[in-house]
Amino acid sequence: MKVSLFITCMADIMTSNVGKDTVEILERFGCEVDFPDTQTCCGQPAYNSGYLENTKATMKHMMKVFRESEYVVGPSGSCVAMLRGYEAIFRGDPEWEEEAKKLAAKTFELSQFLVDVLGIVDVGSTFKGKVTYHPSCHMTRILGVKAAPVQLLQNVEGVDFVELPHGEDCCGFGGTFAVKNSVISGQMVQEKADHVVETEAEYLVGGDMACLLNIGGRLSREGSYVKVVHLAEILNTVK
Amino acid sequence: MTIQNRESFLDNLANTLGRPRRKTGVERPKWSLSPQWEVYDGLSQDELVDVLEQQCKVIHTNFKRTNFDGLSEMLKSAIKGHDGNKVLAANDRRNKEYGLEVIFDDLKQEGVDVRLWDSAIGTENQVFAEQADIGITFSEITLAESGTITLFNDKDNGRSISLLPRVHVVIIPKSTLVPRMTQAVKQIHEANKRGREVSSCVSFISGPSNSADIEMNLIVGVHGPIEATYIVVDDK
Amino acid sequence: MGIRIGDPSFETRVQEGIENDFMLNSVASAQGRFRGRRGVATEELGNWEDWRSLGEEIRSHTLENIDYYLQQLSDNVSKRGGHVFFAATADEANEYIKEVVKRKNGKKVVKSKSMVTEEIGLNKALEEAGSEVIETDLGEWILQLDGDVPSHIVTPALHLNRDQIKETFANKRGYDKSNTPEELGLFAREELRKDFLTADIGITGCNFAVAESGAVTFVTNEGNARLATTLPDTQISVMGLERIVPTWEELDVLVSLLTRSAVGQKLTSYITGITGTRLAGEIDGPEEFHLVIVDNGRSEILGTEFQSALHCIRCAACINVCPVYRHIGGHAYGSIYPGPIGAVLTPLLDGYENHKELPHASTLCAACTDVCPVKIPLHEQLIRHREIMVEKNMAPTAEKIAMNGFVKWSTHPAAYKLSSKLARTALKPWTKDENITNGPGPLKNWTAQRDFPAPSQQTFRSWFKERQKGEKSK
Repeated sequence: MKVSLFITCMADIMTSNVGKDTVEILERFGCEVDFPDTQTCCGQPAYNSGYLENTKATMKHMMKVFRESEYVVGPSGSCVAMLRGYEAIFRGDPEWEEEAKKLAAKTFELSQFLVDVLGIVDVGSTFKGKVTYHPSCHMTRILGVKAAPVQLLQNVEGVDFVELPHGEDCCGFGGTFAVKNSVISGQMVQEKADHVVETEAEYLVGGDMACLLNIGGRLSREGSYVKVVHLAEILNTVK
Repeated sequence: MTIQNRESFLDNLANTLGRPRRKTGVERPKWSLSPQWEVYDGLSQDELVDVLEQQCKVIHTNFKRTNFDGLSEMLKSAIKGHDGNKVLAANDRRNKEYGLEVIFDDLKQEGVDVRLWDSAIGTENQVFAEQADIGITFSEITLAESGTITLFNDKDNGRSISLLPRVHVVIIPKSTLVPRMTQAVKQIHEANKRGREVSSCVSFISGPSNSADIEMNLIVGVHGPIEATYIVVDDK
Repeated sequence: MGIRIGDPSFETRVQEGIENDFMLNSVASAQGRFRGRRGVATEELGNWEDWRSLGEEIRSHTLENIDYYLQQLSDNVSKRGGHVFFAATADEANEYIKEVVKRKNGKKVVKSKSMVTEEIGLNKALEEAGSEVIETDLGEWILQLDGDVPSHIVTPALHLNRDQIKETFANKRGYDKSNTPEELGLFAREELRKDFLTADIGITGCNFAVAESGAVTFVTNEGNARLATTLPDTQISVMGLERIVPTWEELDVLVSLLTRSAVGQKLTSYITGITGTRLAGEIDGPEEFHLVIVDNGRSEILGTEFQSALHCIRCAACINVCPVYRHIGGHAYGSIYPGPIGAVLTPLLDGYENHKELPHASTLCAACTDVCPVKIPLHEQLIRHREIMVEKNMAPTAEKIAMNGFVKWSTHPAAYKLSSKLARTALKPWTKDENITNGPGPLKNWTAQRDFPAPSQQTFRSWFKERQKGEKSK
């Protein structure tokens, strides 16, 4: 099975290890992973800010990048939801409608791909520690992926899983919201960080780097010992 | 009666919808789903009574059940239990059938001021209702799911009876039970279609009045009755 | 008062909200209860998604044929002895109502809770015309005594606690009992009962009008709408033009969606359908009935991509799940319609100019869209608002420059690669122990609230490239 990695700009620049882990997990399950080198960003920052028309150039670029791919897999619910969202955005566009539809059909978030496409619910990894999970908003409510990451996580040997209270609440990231409405965002992430600390978990796991950067940044500011890790990092800890 | 500015107002709506005015010919479609009909579908009358009883706990309503012969004692004790010295009842066609006339006579003998709604005396009804401890009505249709009784208010069954007194006592013939609002509105809809005018006031009432406006704390008894008692009567 | 409330500056309002711990605690605890109750009430049905789909289908059909159903409604109201006035604007509605009140010599007006009358500023208009207007919903009465404005569309005094309410009652009405909700409520009952008995006019809103028979219906718990439509001889009901259902059968579905979504009740204590005037021999109910149907900007929403915002049944479920609302409270929105639905509706009804921050007052977390009982895509409509503001050239210049830069960056892989490689070095001056606590430029607002990690030592793509080379050389 041929898989093109959609790294997402965030993981590419900020947390390249998440990309490495994603590649290694996919390869472990027999996927042949390539990396279309001209990929950039899904366009979400500009799209969500209201710059739809400008952002279409970015979207078209990304559609071209992945045109030949069999599958496109990325370690982010939000960015994957955006790629899939091109379908609705280009509906009625004679030139791009089909292209957008095809991309939507073959693009998956990592846990979604493992569970729904490869049929793997236990990746056979081992990770020792008390772990809680933040189900990010776009992953759950836009992409509709709720069970897969939790199932994978709970099946990791050694993981002591504890539910995050009010997990479904937004962490306050919201793209440019975090900068534009910095004060409100600060209140929100504080609340989220409080809930994380409440669980007494050592690790906060998530499937969206942006949210993790936000919550992790707040935890770090408070001097908390909770470590923030991407799901891919845990799934790739093989004995 | 007057209708003002209608044509320009509705023409504008049609215009913004980008089509000609629709004055006739709109059919309500058959909706693609009907989940409301699945609720408590197929339950017997007795099972619906059980549902009602459970729901009464949720809506802070006293639930009592009796047979035809026990109604007299049950009602009297409910009235006494609520300190009912002034009682106002709807001038309901069933008062006689259910023996309420006899009960009221007994109560009067005992010094309770019991009156029937009397359209001939005008607003005096409201004045008495305002002072009354208890208002008594019959439910026309009873919705088990929500613990709701239905009144079709008219000249013999004033809206005030179930509204102004401190306590609302409702007699619920078991045969009036249906699963939920769905069955009740179907009756109203079909009667309306047959050309029967709907009551000037249809009241779906679920227990006593309440409010959660202060700190989301439930206060039972605000502008309407403070207490409610339902008496389910097994049919003869 | 109209749709706009509070300080004109969004920032000031937000700051006021964030500093009001008292209010935020009330809001958070109320949200917690609302959400819990709504969750139970919707899950126990077992097929909530079907209910939502049905709700959406009904609302969509009704709005598509709104001219037909309003015509049917007005015919039926008229047949049953009621007067119908179609008001294109708030002023037209207020003028008409003032005239009716004057003609009836209405000195005392009792009102049940109604958002549309808040929207058109009816109280002020009536008071100017010399009438005493009394809000009778407990929450609204508290606000009226206090000179305050609603912060929530279902429980308008959500932001106040029992001590504040007790104080208001004491200062304004000589109340001398405890701060328990029960005693406070009983006091309101006693005080307002006198007003109900002596009122000349009852004014109500309307949850749903039923086109097939001309009924206006009220969904309430306190019983004040029943009193306002039972005792006064004149009743005036005011409805937004979209608040209508074809038949009683659709009323059932929408009321069920409303009460479960709003307060987690199967039904509220009172669902009351009033049709026209009282009939011959009836004592209760109005001898004169007026239905005022208000446009006030709604028709401009029809036929646009925002049409489904008119599906709203005012349940406030979106407000009750909104994390932004929780952290700033209702008044910060600067509109009587707060929260996600407020952020969508307010610019539509009152223009962007005074509300340009509202579409951005959301993280687009979509919790609102998820709970909406009639499936309004709220977060998508917020994005659409942002797009329109960009189209209208209302976005800040710095943002425009940044976004144009972003598009260039994301469509030119060479530039993207170069900048991503340089990111770590560029941030070096601000980085200490792989962490940035006081970043430059746009990072400043980020690091005001939280740390920012240093970018990876090696970007993913350079790692991948090296790995490929390595494999080849193996």
